[in-house]
Amino acid sequence: MSGEEIRIGVYVCHCGTNIAGTVDVEEVVRYASTLPNVVIARNYVFMCSEPGQQLIKEDIKKYNLNRVVVAACSPSLHELTFRNAVKEAGLNPYLFEMANIREHCSWAHPDRRKATEKAKDLIRMVVAKARELEPLEEIKIDVTKKALVIGGGVAGLRAALDLARSGFTVYLVEKRPTLGGHTARIPFIRYLGVRGDELISSIVKELVSMPNIKIYTNADVVSMEGGVGSFRVRIRVRPKYVDSKCNLCGECVKVCPVEVSNEYEYGVGTRKAIYLPYQTAYPQIYVIDPEVCTRCGECVKVCPTKAIDLDEKERYEDIEVGTVILATGYDPYEPEKGELGYGLSKKVITLFQLERLLDERGPTKGVLRIGDTEPRVIVFISCVGSMGTSPKAGSYCSRMCCSTMLSAALKIRDQLPGSYIYVIHKDIRTYGYDEELYWKALERDIRFVRYEELPEVKVSGDKIEVVVKDITIGEYISVPADLVVLVNGMAQGKYLREVLNVVRVSCGDEGFVKEAHVKLRPVDAASEGIYLAGSVTGPKSVIESIIHGSAAAARAATVLSKDHVFAEPIIAKVDEDLCSGCLVCVGMCPYNAISTKETDGRRIAFVNPVLCMGCGTCAAACPSGAMQQQGFKDKQVFAQIRAFAR
Amino acid sequence: MSKKVRVALYWMASCGGCEEAQVDAITDELSVIDYLDIVFWPVAMDFKKEDVEKLPDQSIDVALINGGVRLSEHVEMAKLLRRKSKIVIAYGSCSSWGGIPGLANLYQKEEILSRVYSEVPTVAEEGRRPQRKYVTEEGVELELPEFLPMLLPLNAVIEVDYYIPGCPPSPETTLKALKTLLSGETPPRGSVLGASSRALCEECPLNKTKPDKVLVKEIKRVYNAKIDPEKCLLIQGIPCLGPVTRGGCEALCPRVAMPCIGCYGPLDRHIDYGGKALSFIASIIDARSEDEIKKIIDTGIPDPAGLVYKFTLPASRFRMNLRKWGGSR
Amino acid sequence: MTEEYEPKILMIACNWCSYAAVDLAGTSRMRSPHNIRIIRVMCSGRVDPQMVLEAFVNGADGVIVAGCRLGDCHYIEGNYKTLRRMALLKKLLEQLGVEPERFRLEWISAADAKKYVEVANDMVEKLKKLGPLRISFEEISKLIEEVKHIE
Repeated sequence: MSGEEIRIGVYVCHCGTNIAGTVDVEEVVRYASTLPNVVIARNYVFMCSEPGQQLIKEDIKKYNLNRVVVAACSPSLHELTFRNAVKEAGLNPYLFEMANIREHCSWAHPDRRKATEKAKDLIRMVVAKARELEPLEEIKIDVTKKALVIGGGVAGLRAALDLARSGFTVYLVEKRPTLGGHTARIPFIRYLGVRGDELISSIVKELVSMPNIKIYTNADVVSMEGGVGSFRVRIRVRPKYVDSKCNLCGECVKVCPVEVSNEYEYGVGTRKAIYLPYQTAYPQIYVIDPEVCTRCGECVKVCPTKAIDLDEKERYEDIEVGTVILATGYDPYEPEKGELGYGLSKKVITLFQLERLLDERGPTKGVLRIGDTEPRVIVFISCVGSMGTSPKAGSYCSRMCCSTMLSAALKIRDQLPGSYIYVIHKDIRTYGYDEELYWKALERDIRFVRYEELPEVKVSGDKIEVVVKDITIGEYISVPADLVVLVNGMAQGKYLREVLNVVRVSCGDEGFVKEAHVKLRPVDAASEGIYLAGSVTGPKSVIESIIHGSAAAARAATVLSKDHVFAEPIIAKVDEDLCSGCLVCVGMCPYNAISTKETDGRRIAFVNPVLCMGCGTCAAACPSGAMQQQGFKDKQVFAQIRAFAR
Repeated sequence: MSKKVRVALYWMASCGGCEEAQVDAITDELSVIDYLDIVFWPVAMDFKKEDVEKLPDQSIDVALINGGVRLSEHVEMAKLLRRKSKIVIAYGSCSSWGGIPGLANLYQKEEILSRVYSEVPTVAEEGRRPQRKYVTEEGVELELPEFLPMLLPLNAVIEVDYYIPGCPPSPETTLKALKTLLSGETPPRGSVLGASSRALCEECPLNKTKPDKVLVKEIKRVYNAKIDPEKCLLIQGIPCLGPVTRGGCEALCPRVAMPCIGCYGPLDRHIDYGGKALSFIASIIDARSEDEIKKIIDTGIPDPAGLVYKFTLPASRFRMNLRKWGGSR
Repeated sequence: MTEEYEPKILMIACNWCSYAAVDLAGTSRMRSPHNIRIIRVMCSGRVDPQMVLEAFVNGADGVIVAGCRLGDCHYIEGNYKTLRRMALLKKLLEQLGVEPERFRLEWISAADAKKYVEVANDMVEKLKKLGPLRISFEEISKLIEEVKHIE
């Protein structure tokens, strides 16, 4: 490559009017053609289109180009597209670089003169880097045809099922002692016409009948190394203290002295330290909660099958998979004590708690009572924890709460025909076919009051008063309520942060995991080989989560169905002639990709190309400059910096 | 070479250490002197500037110039020697990159003159500044060279062919460099002679005592640290610049439990020696909070410029402290 | 009429977080100062103090190094190394006479376009008051040229 004449082609995209409407693309092209080594400079309306890519391919042949620069949108969108185009024309795809003159220029600076000058500067800098680019060979990685699904809720189950049906081995890891997530606690899912737990059971039934699936409950993922095609993961299975000999007789529950709030009933019921999460839980084994168990041993004494072992230890298992699907779901927004009266009176409950009280298989067999009394005035307050209604609330809409709220309201109307039911709402978003819930509610005398500011819930002793400014009439109204239901939305999963320490994907500001691109890659995480399913990326209904799970499985299958994938070769490499063996780099690598080797009697550093993820931290630390990151070498980055000034 | 090599040796802003090193090297191997015909060596021989001016251009084979460029006289002599010599070598750290006197570039000329001639405790009364021109009672006009606004390395004022690094260059380095040239070899212009192309750690006997990962929880000051002479100094928290400094001195300092301070200067890939040194030292600090990091740095490295630019400030990208130059400052 | 001084700022941004935040600012059509030129690296951990020095020498009046928020680094802990290096670099820059406002280390998450705009606006405002740094280097070059011409 050295000694060869550098011949650069520069392509300035109009992106319709997105760039050309602000940046003077003609002037930019004229400027680009004056830069040293630029042999041809063009502009075109949509460079990413077929004809746009053809331009590049033809020019490479016609003008013998050996470097290509495209000035257009962000590389996050089309860098791959153009690399492939360059590759198809017979040029190494890493002899290509992009200048971002849309997101970073035309869209940010409406002033034509300033945007044009900036575009020129950005192109000059990228051309300077392009001059120093070197051909790189992608790294071939063997794909392990197995998948890991983290999260056994409805999305994770769907993804696991789809992948298992496609013939791949699937490991499913669920934190709780049972599969099913929050969906299993929903009494009735309208469109599917089933109970949540029945839906879960039907998926689980098929799943466990498949030979190529391994399910871990009461388990977490504690470490993850590697990348797409080959992730090495360590699973920790926490002890349940009860094994499969358990015959579900329940004798242990009777003698257990510890009683705590039942999280599977969202707090409206209690459970013991030893418990079965709910009737249709899977696996059907009782479990002991180690945080509250006193180890009194009473349960051991009465267990007829001797299934309880209080000394069971946690165990670890190491697996290797080609892709990972993150489906860890959400948790309901938990109002703070005192927020709208929550925690100050048993008459103030959340929507999730209400659903449990309306479930025929729930703690009250579906009969709505507060204490022993039948509530006569029921007030729903919607958008609690969503829509920016309070400082702690998310600014987003939680999608499913309006539909769920009105379904519940109609159920209450069925049960308590004489009751007064108020829905105090910010908006009513019963979208799609759920619109009919709204009309039904109106027909059945459910009264809607619209607010702009959250109502006040005044609790004094046994009495509750809800005060709200009805913005339709512009006046305050006050409702003495027997039951206040805070319609809480979906929020970040309680344990998500812990998971993200292991699975390195990032969250947005609202606490949900960010997908690689909202439109173009909605179920991919930013990192290759990791996919996202369900409400981990944001509020979704059950059906939407199921669809999402299938989508993630399909994406994962695109990797698993191949024998190899290719990793980007922008990894670190040691110049063996220059390395003095100072070992500063070894301690820099979070992936332990750097070790030492002997050469000519010297001990020098060595990078494992499969483990290196291409961050470049070691290269910056390397005191001698022997460690260089391909594609971001000192000479390449510094060329870009030096071109900053004209 | 059958003919004797015509050599000129000159000192600019120099401490005299390079002269001693040159004598050391020559007396180490007395046979070398048989090959040399010294035509100019102010410290030892009575040649004058006029003698050099009289020589035909390019008639000196090698000029070894040490010391930094601090006075106008140094510029004159450097340019003169460049004209008269085939090869000019920057000998030692000062002429190569400015050396320790280069740290004066952290101060403005006025600050320096004021401190030296007015502020130090040993100055009588208000002190006096040297005058550039002075006429004696006998009517003789005396002139002092100008004190330049900054100290420069030799290559800032003339083209330099080769560099011999060190403060001073060890006898081995000096001899190796001279022998390379005497043998008729012509390394690429701008090369560093007599030293290694790799960093010091390679030849340091303490390198093999490093653990898997080089990470420290504390940076210590040499003056009050308890140093284990059998272990790598860096892992003991002593900021040793071995990893970032050119080797070739056989790790003389670490061998006696003193950290390398960087006198053999930068390696070929460095863009700014001080910047690279900062990068690796900071990288090995094992702390994650801003406060913790600040505490470690403030305790262990109160003077980063003094640590990383001890020999190379005038050759660094900035060359000097920017204060009071231009803009609205 | 002299044109108002417009500072030139170089920003070295990490691909996964800060570069994406600038993308988002553009996608959201948020106005941001035109004075900034961005260089992309994969991780802020790639940033070597030599790069910051080189930027100043090559005409930058201000430099921003931007990475993911601490704990969120795509490569686990590259940004911690950046934190350490830039802490030491800040001390050195002070000794070299560079006003502290000229160099910033910022942690900007991919969703935080707002923060990018705030940082950019704030820096431009501060640098306008300080004046151009490039003048200092131009003056030093002039001085060296003068020295070279001494006979």
